[in-house]
Amino acid sequence: MTSIHFRALTGKVITSNGIPSTGERGMDDREIVIDVRGLVRKYHSTTGVLHQKRRETVAVDHIDLQVRRGELFGLLGPNGAGKTTTIKVLTTLLLPTEGSVQVLGYDAVKQPMEVRKRIGLILGGERGLYYRITARQNLRYFADIYGVPIAIRDKRIEEVLARVDLLDKADVRVEDYSRGMKQRLHIAKGIVHDPELVFMDEPTIGLDPEAARDTRAMTKELVGEGKTILLTTHYMYEADELCDRVGVIARGRILALDTPSGLKALVKDTSVIEVEGFGLTEMDVESLRALEGVRTVAANMGEDKQTMRVQVEDPGGMLPRVAHILEDRKVIGMKVKEPTLEDAYLWLVREDA
Amino acid sequence: MPRLRAATASFRHQASMFLAEPQWLIPNIIAPFVLAMVVLMLYREPSPEAVLYAVLGGGMMGMWGNTLYASGYSIQSDRWWGTVDAIFSAPSPLIWIIGGRTVWNAFIGIVNGLFVLVAAMLIFRTPLEVANFPMFLLAFVLTLLSLAALGMLFSAAFVLTRSAQVLTNGLEFPIYVGTGSMFPIFLLPYWTHPLSLSLAPTWGIDAIRYSALAGYAQGFRIGYWGDMLAMAALSLLYLVISIWLFKAVDRRARRTADLMRY
Amino acid sequence: MSEFARGSLRTFWSSAVLAKRALFAWLNPAMWLMQLFGMSLFQIAFFVYVAIFVNNAEVTIEYVAIGNALQSMAYVSVFAVCNITGEEKNQGTIEGLLVSPANRFSVFVGRAMFQIVNGLATVTIAFLYAALVFNVDFSQANYLGLAVVVLVTTFAMTGFGLMLSSLGLFLRTSMIVANIFLFVGLLVCGVNFPVAYLPAYLRPLSYAIPMTYGTEAARMAVGGAALGELSCPLGAEALVGIAAMLVGYLMFRWFERLARSRGTLDRF
Repeated sequence: MTSIHFRALTGKVITSNGIPSTGERGMDDREIVIDVRGLVRKYHSTTGVLHQKRRETVAVDHIDLQVRRGELFGLLGPNGAGKTTTIKVLTTLLLPTEGSVQVLGYDAVKQPMEVRKRIGLILGGERGLYYRITARQNLRYFADIYGVPIAIRDKRIEEVLARVDLLDKADVRVEDYSRGMKQRLHIAKGIVHDPELVFMDEPTIGLDPEAARDTRAMTKELVGEGKTILLTTHYMYEADELCDRVGVIARGRILALDTPSGLKALVKDTSVIEVEGFGLTEMDVESLRALEGVRTVAANMGEDKQTMRVQVEDPGGMLPRVAHILEDRKVIGMKVKEPTLEDAYLWLVREDA
Repeated sequence: MPRLRAATASFRHQASMFLAEPQWLIPNIIAPFVLAMVVLMLYREPSPEAVLYAVLGGGMMGMWGNTLYASGYSIQSDRWWGTVDAIFSAPSPLIWIIGGRTVWNAFIGIVNGLFVLVAAMLIFRTPLEVANFPMFLLAFVLTLLSLAALGMLFSAAFVLTRSAQVLTNGLEFPIYVGTGSMFPIFLLPYWTHPLSLSLAPTWGIDAIRYSALAGYAQGFRIGYWGDMLAMAALSLLYLVISIWLFKAVDRRARRTADLMRY
Repeated sequence: MSEFARGSLRTFWSSAVLAKRALFAWLNPAMWLMQLFGMSLFQIAFFVYVAIFVNNAEVTIEYVAIGNALQSMAYVSVFAVCNITGEEKNQGTIEGLLVSPANRFSVFVGRAMFQIVNGLATVTIAFLYAALVFNVDFSQANYLGLAVVVLVTTFAMTGFGLMLSSLGLFLRTSMIVANIFLFVGLLVCGVNFPVAYLPAYLRPLSYAIPMTYGTEAARMAVGGAALGELSCPLGAEALVGIAAMLVGYLMFRWFERLARSRGTLDRF
């Protein structure tokens, strides 16, 4: 298994030092459960009522990826990057425009039923459950249509409800559930038929910290049981914490695919000058970006306070020059910091723009 | 048998959803009830035969309305709830899932029909005297099944388009007119007859009238059993077309992602 | 113009535009046209053939055709308008609306605007069907009078629909209410037979609905009655329509307060 870095600016594919990386848990010899080659997915939409214009959007633009059994793989990217589309193709909900997709050895296009029997889908959010009936009734329906053997169905439902800690609320209508409870029910629904491979699309979005933490803990548990998980997220700390490998995706393309440490290595010889101030403007950000020696700048322009993360290779040399540009501004702090996965991500995504 | 199981699960699921909100039956009861009342008011002093005629027609409209309405809403409500992905990614073919729901909807249509029957009987104080009860029951059940088959056909179309609601409302009156639920189809222009006769309920209401109304003289010349045969044949045809349509729909939905958007 | 009025007018207008756009967002124009041209035809046909079959001397084809032609707007003005609250609830936009500083009622009225135009178009087409397909005799007709009848009835029934829509703010669903009134109208508004046929206890209901006056006036207009003669039923209709809107507005305010205290807004 090799780590692949796409040098964003030149478009060339570079492998790191030629020696295959085994990832953080040494999975080189495990079978490949997801095999995607050259995946392209285009959407056609029409706008306007009288003069209809056809517009083609390329949501996924030639993606390759392989996921091995037992791996926790993350697709990390901003909104609109193509994560959800990719998951929908992998789960047979969408057909690819081009490319081949093999899931658990079956062709997702030609053998969708075989794929569906073995995968679980956890989409999360407010929608995706029947509100007017109880959790148990929801699970019974899904268990039936996903093919849980009748003999063990009810027992399995009890197990799964206990596992997500919803047993005492199992006979309450879902419309009365809190957001966190609904999320737990989503998880229950996704694993009720004990799939080998589970897809999770932004599982912690909109959850409070405690619920999010519980979700992540459950994800780790599932992998511990031998399941393979592909999750999408736009939270870098989540990818960092959970994933064996992360694919950074933006504008339909994979910019980098590596372990979290491997990705951090992209920025390993850099530092970040973190600037906090008042009254900083976009113009300041642009001036810093234009500065030679600055790799990239990520800015958080709040109404009251602004923070910027300026990636540089030589913090010692760059610090005075950054300070010089900002000398007329109200800067309350300027610190040199170690780069995080977020910086690697920001660099990849920004430089690709 | 996984497919049959998906169907029975969907039947049971539809029942739970219905029982959670039974007030949705009301719109389906109102329409045929009111229409039957209008007809009877026009008679001023309807004969028992006229009452029975109108009541049977009302019952038929109720069953039909429910099938149409529910088939249309079936996948639309999945769109609202966001459960389309879950249904679509299940290893059971969509047609069995929709099929199970359609059977329940047809079954509930009986409640509809019965309500109209009982209400009209009470208001007009005429007892319901059916000429030949076993034949009536048979015709009734077969009509119900043929409606379920027709509902499947419509479901396939509704899966594809988000405009299911418009179609559902838009088809209501055409079907009432076309199937001759309240008047013989011979009153309609002759060139509409092939259309009417391609709808199983048209034969169904005729068979029901043959079995319920003594001395029913305005029926189709092929008589009761001819009607039953026609209904069975048409129902089979609807099922065959549905199977084909659902396959095409599955393919198309996966290609264009139309299913997902609300 | 006062600040309040100007603000309301702006809200009103943008809601109308939103209604039109939203309508085309989830129907394509072909569907809308199908609905526009198809529904009234079959509704009139149904009752015409029933009338032929029943063969009641007092209730002619003309009687039924005119009544249903006018009533064809009900689907648009009552049903669609009544569903405005339902739709907003379904899309989850109702909280956003109610917390806005905009005059809430004018939002709903603005959305109803589009339905008014839709209703007028529907009725016009329906009368064309009555004349061309069902051979209703328009030779003596007072076209101007008929146009006035259609206008007054459309506005009055939309007002009635708005009143029903206020109920939807509180009820679980306004669809059921809308459905009931849509069909009840066929029974009690003199659409298919004279109100006199109805039992005495139902007649007050007939006269509380603007359409009842409308159908009477429509038949008079087609028969050649002058505007002066029409002013009586039309005046009554307008009054009933305005009264309905007032009741609707009051109910709206009351239900809004009630819904906020009881918390039923966040349920579908």
